[in-house]
Amino acid sequence: MVATSKCSGKYHELLLQLQRQADLMQNPSTLLDPYIHLQGLHSPVLKGSCMERPGDFPSEDALWRLSRQDFLRTLNTTLGLFLRMLSALQQDLPKAAHQQAEMNIRGLGNNIHCMAQLLRGSSDPEAAEPTQPGPGPTQPPPPLPTLPLDTFKRKLRICEFLQGYHHFMRRAGQVLRGWGERRGRNRRHSPLRGLQRAARRTWPFPGLRRLAPQGQLPR
Amino acid sequence: MPVIQYKSDFNVCSVTYKHQNLRICSSEGSHSKDSKERYLWTQNVNNEILSEPLPLTPESLSVSINSTKQCLHLQWTVHNLDYHQELKMVFQIEISRFKASEVIWTGNYSTTVMQNQVLHWSWESELPLECAIHFVRMRTMVDDARIPVPRFWSNWSSWEKADDKLVEEGSDVTICYISRNHQDNISCYLEDVLTYGKQLDQSVWAFELKNVSFLRKTGTNFYCQGQGVPEGIVLYVSKVLEEPKDFSCETRDLKTLTCTWDPGDDTGLIGLPSYTLFESFSGKKTLCKHRNRCDWQVTQDSQEMYNFTLVAENYFRKRSVSILFNLIHGVHPVAPYNLFPKNVSATNATMTWKVHSIGNNSALLCQLQLLGEGKVIQQHNISVRVNGEYLLSELEPDTEYMARVHCAYADHFWKWSELISQNFTTAEAAPLEAPDVWRNVMFVSGHPTVTLFWKPLSKVHTHGKILFYNVVVENLDEPSSLEARSVPAPANSTKVTLNQSSYQIHVTAHNSVGPSPASTVAVSGHPGNENVEEGRVNGTEDGFPMSWKPQSRNATGYVVEWCDGPQNLPCVPQWRNLGPTTTGTVISSGAFRPGVRYNFRIYEISTKRMARLLEKKTGYLEELAPSYNPQVVPNNLTSHSFTLSWKDYPTESQTGFIQGYYVYLKSKAGEKCHRGFEKTVLPDNSVCCKYTIDNPDQKTFVMKDLQPESVYEFLVTSYTSAGEGPLDDFRKVTTPDEYSHILIYIILPMIFCVLVIMIACYLKNPYKSSVLSLIKSKENPHITIMKVNDCVPDAIEVVNKPEGSKIQFTGTRKSPTETKGTKPAYLDLLPTEKNYSGPGPCICFENFTYNQAASDLGYCGHFPVTPQAPHCQLGPLTSPENLLKTLEQNYMNSLGEIPAGEANLNYVSQLASPMSGDKESPPTNPPEPTLCSEYKMQMAIPLGLASPPPSENSSLSSTTLLDPGEHYH
Repeated sequence: MVATSKCSGKYHELLLQLQRQADLMQNPSTLLDPYIHLQGLHSPVLKGSCMERPGDFPSEDALWRLSRQDFLRTLNTTLGLFLRMLSALQQDLPKAAHQQAEMNIRGLGNNIHCMAQLLRGSSDPEAAEPTQPGPGPTQPPPPLPTLPLDTFKRKLRICEFLQGYHHFMRRAGQVLRGWGERRGRNRRHSPLRGLQRAARRTWPFPGLRRLAPQGQLPR
Repeated sequence: MPVIQYKSDFNVCSVTYKHQNLRICSSEGSHSKDSKERYLWTQNVNNEILSEPLPLTPESLSVSINSTKQCLHLQWTVHNLDYHQELKMVFQIEISRFKASEVIWTGNYSTTVMQNQVLHWSWESELPLECAIHFVRMRTMVDDARIPVPRFWSNWSSWEKADDKLVEEGSDVTICYISRNHQDNISCYLEDVLTYGKQLDQSVWAFELKNVSFLRKTGTNFYCQGQGVPEGIVLYVSKVLEEPKDFSCETRDLKTLTCTWDPGDDTGLIGLPSYTLFESFSGKKTLCKHRNRCDWQVTQDSQEMYNFTLVAENYFRKRSVSILFNLIHGVHPVAPYNLFPKNVSATNATMTWKVHSIGNNSALLCQLQLLGEGKVIQQHNISVRVNGEYLLSELEPDTEYMARVHCAYADHFWKWSELISQNFTTAEAAPLEAPDVWRNVMFVSGHPTVTLFWKPLSKVHTHGKILFYNVVVENLDEPSSLEARSVPAPANSTKVTLNQSSYQIHVTAHNSVGPSPASTVAVSGHPGNENVEEGRVNGTEDGFPMSWKPQSRNATGYVVEWCDGPQNLPCVPQWRNLGPTTTGTVISSGAFRPGVRYNFRIYEISTKRMARLLEKKTGYLEELAPSYNPQVVPNNLTSHSFTLSWKDYPTESQTGFIQGYYVYLKSKAGEKCHRGFEKTVLPDNSVCCKYTIDNPDQKTFVMKDLQPESVYEFLVTSYTSAGEGPLDDFRKVTTPDEYSHILIYIILPMIFCVLVIMIACYLKNPYKSSVLSLIKSKENPHITIMKVNDCVPDAIEVVNKPEGSKIQFTGTRKSPTETKGTKPAYLDLLPTEKNYSGPGPCICFENFTYNQAASDLGYCGHFPVTPQAPHCQLGPLTSPENLLKTLEQNYMNSLGEIPAGEANLNYVSQLASPMSGDKESPPTNPPEPTLCSEYKMQMAIPLGLASPPPSENSSLSSTTLLDPGEHYH
């Protein structure tokens, strides 16, 4: 995914846009729900079995461990792969939802590109630092899943995959919001940069489950 | 032995049919990572290698299932039978289940076999056939010593896995669920509906779905859930393939045939049914590329007749329809093209177009239609081979037309081609008719000012856009004098000031081509006779019917003129021209409204185009009842009568012709109605008297025979043919007593005399007054008039004494403000309460000159007022005669007898110097000021006291003393 439009040079504006796009795309009503409706998977039993399959998308823990640059790269690559998968699923999805999802992903891709460009041009050392401290190196995104040939299993597998996509976008949105919080804190307490790093050890969203190991030292 | 991999620990199976071939699904529990071939068992056959086949070995064995009867149906042939050979044969059959090696049934079937005969045999299964894979093989035995005993079996019958479980809507389907493990808590659902099946085994359940219906193209989900993730299948339910409807063929160029049909509802399957077109004469067929249309190339061998059969086929059904088609009878030409107008004039236009050639330049019949305002007004048929052309005539100038053309095969008409159309507009021409002109003549300082009005020409007559109007004023007295002016369109009037000559004014309308014929009006320099009697005209549903009497034999026509709006509004005159023989018409207008008076003027037009007023008429489309009543003024009020007078309505506000008036009179006493009145009940159920004035010119009415000092309510309504005005807003009037006018001539001199005497006495002896002595003591209830002779100088004295007995007035009274002893005593010339004894802290003289002021200042609310009490009134100013009368009649009324409601007046009195002591008090006791202030509100004077009634019946009634001619309610 390559951005072609002119990029905004305003970090917060771009970040806010990324957050909003992630929020929009994490909503199951944009893709998963239309798929479930089209395929008749709306019974409680089938919906209950339509859970994200581990390995389809990068985990929350992995995302928090990535530097901003790496996070954007991972996000971009993952969505690029998802886009490929999406075109393979064209017959399985409602046309309108499919097209809208494609547009959303391409739009987000543009903003990812712009944000990456902005971070590259900045001297902000945080750009190269992970959002969450940890040893995680940049890992390639998971490969596309193989869909079973059996129709019923295929239906369920696609459902799981789309569920994973929405969850992944929610996780990405959380990471992006973490950027905003940290940035705000940094502005307020810029003289105390050392303390900020210590503060980064604290999980920014107490209401959410923290997957990263606790008590690790920052790199 | 056959080797069949069948690892079905946990699987769901279903059986569907494709024609006569059995398709069975199989294990799906463990092949998610396997290649596709592993799902298809069509190749999983007996790997036993047959040696040289015997001549009579059964071949082409196929197996199908009758699901209803749970029967396996076998079908095979026997090869190598000689021609005409009939052989009695025995077929040994083996059936195995799940695995080919697990033979569950063996038996023989004997029959006589002929060459190429297809043999059939069925076997009934105790287990639902859908729940297991079955294999069949056979070998032959012949009851013929010449033929050796067979040693070889046929191949095991093949099984196919139906990956897509296709069923037709309305069919019954059996689904078999085979669990990997022995579980009891298995729940199976068709979509989201829990479905119960039959448990055939510890791990096998069969579900029968009856009459399955189409839900969606993506299939119907059937699934079971045990402890793990749900396992299921997707049933693709196809709607029943419909027979094609409206199958027909046609050709557009005699080269290609196109057959079309209505395929009916979409079957809902992702794979569409196929449509094939067969032609029996030629034996050719073609697979159609569309589901509702198919093209067929016409061969060069001049085949005219075609016998087409359309076959629609899907997984389940085959439908076909046939037609016999004659090529020449089905020619539907392609639409013509390049339709253009040329040489367009005001009344003619030539249309040209081209057609596509058909076959060997066959002729086409083309139909050219001319449409105006959406309607076909001309239609012409033209035979065309390549180029078409036609001259359209009798067209209207400056009119937009549409020309359209379509063509059909001339040799055999079957169907018109599609229409093509072209719009064009004819050229302009000079306006056809003169504008309809009328004039309005006003004389200003003796000079006529003529306003000319004209109606816009109708579109039929303009023949082009009207650009301006030419107005030429011709002075008939000076033939050489012509004045012309141009009025740009769309103006429809102009004003011309003339002198006292006679004129003819000519008006023409001009478009880009030229002028219209002129319209002429003549105007005389002198006012005509306007004194024409006005008649009335009654409107009807159709309008106003007008009729008139011709007054001259050489009239060239008549004009009826009117205004659409109400009279009081400025308007553009409306007019209608009528022929010389016409003596009546009906004037209608959408602007006419009920309740509005319209005036009409009928003119006669002379040969010199001079208009002469013939008649005036006025009328209503529909008369309405008056919306309000006349403003009535009562005057000449006496004790027994008063006069009502009102003015005329303005005619423009009248909603109908006023036919008269009703006078309503209500009296409180409920008297009988006077002569001429009739009793009537009002909408509020009150009763009153009603007098009818049927002369609309009568504007006064005298109410007579009234009772003095009585309250009357009156109302005057006007009425039209539609009803009378609103019955509300009754007004009150109170008649005065009959002596009041006499009293005024007596009381004033008397007061004057008394005052003179009092002043004289006071001047003589300011400390003693004999006035009081002239008045009888309070025990005497009668009041006597003081005689001048009784006046002793210095005897007039005003006493403020604690003892009430010392008060020397002719009576005592108790006002609401002096019922207690501490209240001030008022010295006045009114009767006071008989037993009054309370001393007052001050003494006040009544000073009538302040009464009006007090009243005006609104001090009339200090006393209780009953609902019957009229408004605050100027009693004291008009009551000297009452006072005198009181004295003369020696009448004293106690306050207790005065209705509270009548004590409704109070007055301001200037304070007299308060005195203390009485006439016995030594003069050395000078009066000392007490608690009085300099000015003080004086007591109210009940009217009953001030003006005693003349009779007992009305002695206590409240009376509003009206100044005749001024006061009324």
